[in-house]
Amino acid sequence: MAIRVNPGFINDLNRFGKENIELCYQCGDCSAVCPHSDEFYKFPRKPIRLLQMGLEKKVETTLEPWLCYYCGDCSDLCPRDANPGDTMMILRRYLTSVYDWTGLSRKFYTSHWWEIGAVFVIGILIALLFSAFNPHGIVTTLTPDGGVKINEMFPVETVNIGAHIMLISIASFLIANIIRMWYLTLLKDRSVRIPFTLYFRKLYQLFVHFLTQKQFIKCKDRSYWIFHLLLMSAYVLMFVLIVGNLRWFQTDRIYSWYQPQRLLGYYSTLGLLAGLAFFSWGRIRKIGQKFKFSHLSDWIFIILLFLTTTSGILLHFFRLSGMPVASYYTYIIHMAVLVPMLCVEVPFSKWSHLAYRPFAIYFAEIKKSALPARKKNDA
Amino acid sequence: MQVGVFFCLTEESEDLNIDSIAKYTANLPNVEIVRDLGIKPHPDMEEINEIIRANNLGRVVVAGDMPGYYKPAFTKAMSLAGGNTDEVRLASFMEHGAKGKEAMDRAKAIIACATMAVPFPLAAIPTGNPVNHSTLIIGGGIAGIQSALEIANAGKPVFLIEQSGTIGGHMAMFDKTFPTLDCAACILTPKMVNVGQHDMIQLFTRSRVAGITGDPGAYHVRIKQSARFVDVKSCVACNQCTEVCPVKVESEFDAGISLRKAIYIPFPQAVPNAYLVDPERCTYILSGGKKCGVCAKKCPKECINLNETDHYVDLEVGNIVLAIGYELLDVSRIDQYGYGKYPNVLTSLEFERLTNASGTTGGRIVMKSKRFNKKTEKDEWVFLPDGVPPKSVAIIHCVGSRNKKYNAYCSRVCCMYSLKFAHLVKEKIPDVTVYEFYIDMRAFGKGYEEFADRIKEEGTLIIRGHSAMVTMNNGQMVVRGEDIINDKLAEFHVDMVVLAVGLIPSPGTDELARMMDISKDHDGWFSELNYNGSPTDTEKGGIYVAGMCQGPKDIPDTVAQASAVAAGILRSLTTKRGIGHLSSIPLSEIEAKAKNIQTV
Repeated sequence: MAIRVNPGFINDLNRFGKENIELCYQCGDCSAVCPHSDEFYKFPRKPIRLLQMGLEKKVETTLEPWLCYYCGDCSDLCPRDANPGDTMMILRRYLTSVYDWTGLSRKFYTSHWWEIGAVFVIGILIALLFSAFNPHGIVTTLTPDGGVKINEMFPVETVNIGAHIMLISIASFLIANIIRMWYLTLLKDRSVRIPFTLYFRKLYQLFVHFLTQKQFIKCKDRSYWIFHLLLMSAYVLMFVLIVGNLRWFQTDRIYSWYQPQRLLGYYSTLGLLAGLAFFSWGRIRKIGQKFKFSHLSDWIFIILLFLTTTSGILLHFFRLSGMPVASYYTYIIHMAVLVPMLCVEVPFSKWSHLAYRPFAIYFAEIKKSALPARKKNDA
Repeated sequence: MQVGVFFCLTEESEDLNIDSIAKYTANLPNVEIVRDLGIKPHPDMEEINEIIRANNLGRVVVAGDMPGYYKPAFTKAMSLAGGNTDEVRLASFMEHGAKGKEAMDRAKAIIACATMAVPFPLAAIPTGNPVNHSTLIIGGGIAGIQSALEIANAGKPVFLIEQSGTIGGHMAMFDKTFPTLDCAACILTPKMVNVGQHDMIQLFTRSRVAGITGDPGAYHVRIKQSARFVDVKSCVACNQCTEVCPVKVESEFDAGISLRKAIYIPFPQAVPNAYLVDPERCTYILSGGKKCGVCAKKCPKECINLNETDHYVDLEVGNIVLAIGYELLDVSRIDQYGYGKYPNVLTSLEFERLTNASGTTGGRIVMKSKRFNKKTEKDEWVFLPDGVPPKSVAIIHCVGSRNKKYNAYCSRVCCMYSLKFAHLVKEKIPDVTVYEFYIDMRAFGKGYEEFADRIKEEGTLIIRGHSAMVTMNNGQMVVRGEDIINDKLAEFHVDMVVLAVGLIPSPGTDELARMMDISKDHDGWFSELNYNGSPTDTEKGGIYVAGMCQGPKDIPDTVAQASAVAAGILRSLTTKRGIGHLSSIPLSEIEAKAKNIQTV
């Protein structure tokens, strides 16, 4: 079957972040220096070639961009200053929009107004919702411990229902997109026939890479791995605590500091703060190749996460010290930042990579294991 | 006849004040209409046709940096309007050198000539001034030698100055030339000897230009000749001084892969065939005459004078040729290939000396051997004639060339000499594996593509993919690279790596450019007046460029350019009219001349 060339593909891609893809003269330095590039997955040169040729349909089926951890060695070495590392980043944004069947992801990545607008609209709706639907308004009486009666203002059972609705919708969007990713990268690729059992044999890869992100170890600079892992673990833990176990987390009781409820919360807070400090400092000062170029989606996430974390810390402080009015408003602000962050970023934007990246490695492993089998058959 | 002038500009003409030029143009006789179409325009034939009809234009002048690019549109418009298409005239700023301080006047003059349909070079010949018959050639490499011989053979006196102890330059270091695989020395040394013996050539070695004054046709040049410490006329090159000299220094001629003494002859075929002393390393000179001095005592001809001092020579010359060549990029700046870290990573010049039959190993290609240095009490890596030949050699192209971090330009000779290296390795070592890592194979000259094919047929593995790095794995050098054509990412185990290092202007370029007020291009090479039209002239009258110092080129091109320079100089000597500085003719003079020519 002939492969269709889209001559305007590079222009389209430039909307996901501007990089001079046409500068590349295909010397292969980037692929050779990349610690993740191997005999099966050679990048960044090969995907860049596909871009240069406008092979849109072929780019959609590539897994390579997800295998890149953007250490920037390739951009450092590139004789043309063509920034192959950033091109991989742009491709990840593009692929996210390809996997997303709703088309929202594309809107969020290519239009500032859509991204910022979506965050604001959801934020305002949430703020209105929480201010309109609370049975008792601001409850000024305190608990025997001297804390604020947060559950009387915002009953945990009600909030929990909302949280679960959100969780289910985010998860279903993400799962649908992952299925689409699987369709594009594995099913559509006729060159490999994947035995069904391979999906189970390689399943552990998914969890290993999700939890350890050990691919980062291959990069020269390990600090990125540590902070990324810290931020990710804190984020996931917080997500599990808040969205999954709200009943346990949102209480009026004041536990002692060594209780797991508080300890886990503190760990998450510290992890988030440390990660945020590392990433925002890096992006502000443009330290190294990976922080040289920042897209709006990179900043939105940092800003929203920062606001969520600080409002969460304040809420905790206000509740413990018995300040009902402050707690009330901080709670609403906290929600008005947290919910759009989760609804926009996780399924449609920057943070979808928490799912796509481990799945891509999982799929890549499957493909890699299936390939020699095919070669044997050919022989 | 009514004339219309259209400006079609590029970014290059940004330093020109187009408004002022347009005003001037509008006041020229017969000019009916002046239009500035802006930068990189797309001239609309219909519109121009309308303008030509409306103003009844008989002649159209397209002015700009590359007006020829827009000519077809204007020619079509002219024919649509029923005019004479021969009357579409070009006024090219770039071609006629509208740059530098005099750019504005020059641009105006170019347009004035075009509106009168007078070829610019006809009106703008600087008035001849008497030319001194002597020529000064700076640089004694193949370019300087070729120019010197061409001029001297025509019976005109030449002063050839060279900063090192011998003429010959880089070509003397080479083993073979591409693509014919001729012996470089067999071509060069007869020419060198010829220069040394020529009645019309006066050779100054160890000399540099110290100052220059005067005008085209009559330059006064002051030469600083550093002390050689050996009398060239009486030295018979018996080598006794070198045998007793206790100081060992890395040899420049051998690209640092072998040692020479502080009193030495660069190579046996040196011209002048006499020894010289390196004042920066000689014990006697460094100690102020207190220590050593054994060579002077040993010399049977008593021609060594270690107390000789530098002196100045004043020359009166009519023309000057710049032929100062190039040097290699400092490869220690590029750390990914392990140069300086791993012993068997060589630069192209080092390899050239290694494979040369007159080199330290007698032309055997071997790996470096470890040797204990008693003086420093350290192990050092040296080339020994009985060393082990490598089993596999990697030649990496474009090291520092075509790279925005080092040289953005292509050094032009590396592809071909790398192929030549592959041939030499294959020829000298049986069963050797040779890898060539290239980005694009630039085999552009006569017989070059065939040469590349021949090397491929000889079994050299020519790999499309610029390898990224050289590492050491358990004592084995590993080149990691992508083999793009075979779609492989592989680690190649090699014993020797040769880096095809990029070329940069010789360090004297800046100083000479300042001294002579000649511009350089953005890569640092001397700027020629016009790349296509006058590739050997500079904007200064009577000063020419030849060889690498104008931009990277191979030996055939260098020799051709050097001969072309000689042709220009001999023209000025036979017509007895030197070319003045471009800026020397005022605008009014060009206008008047053009008018004269027009009426004739």
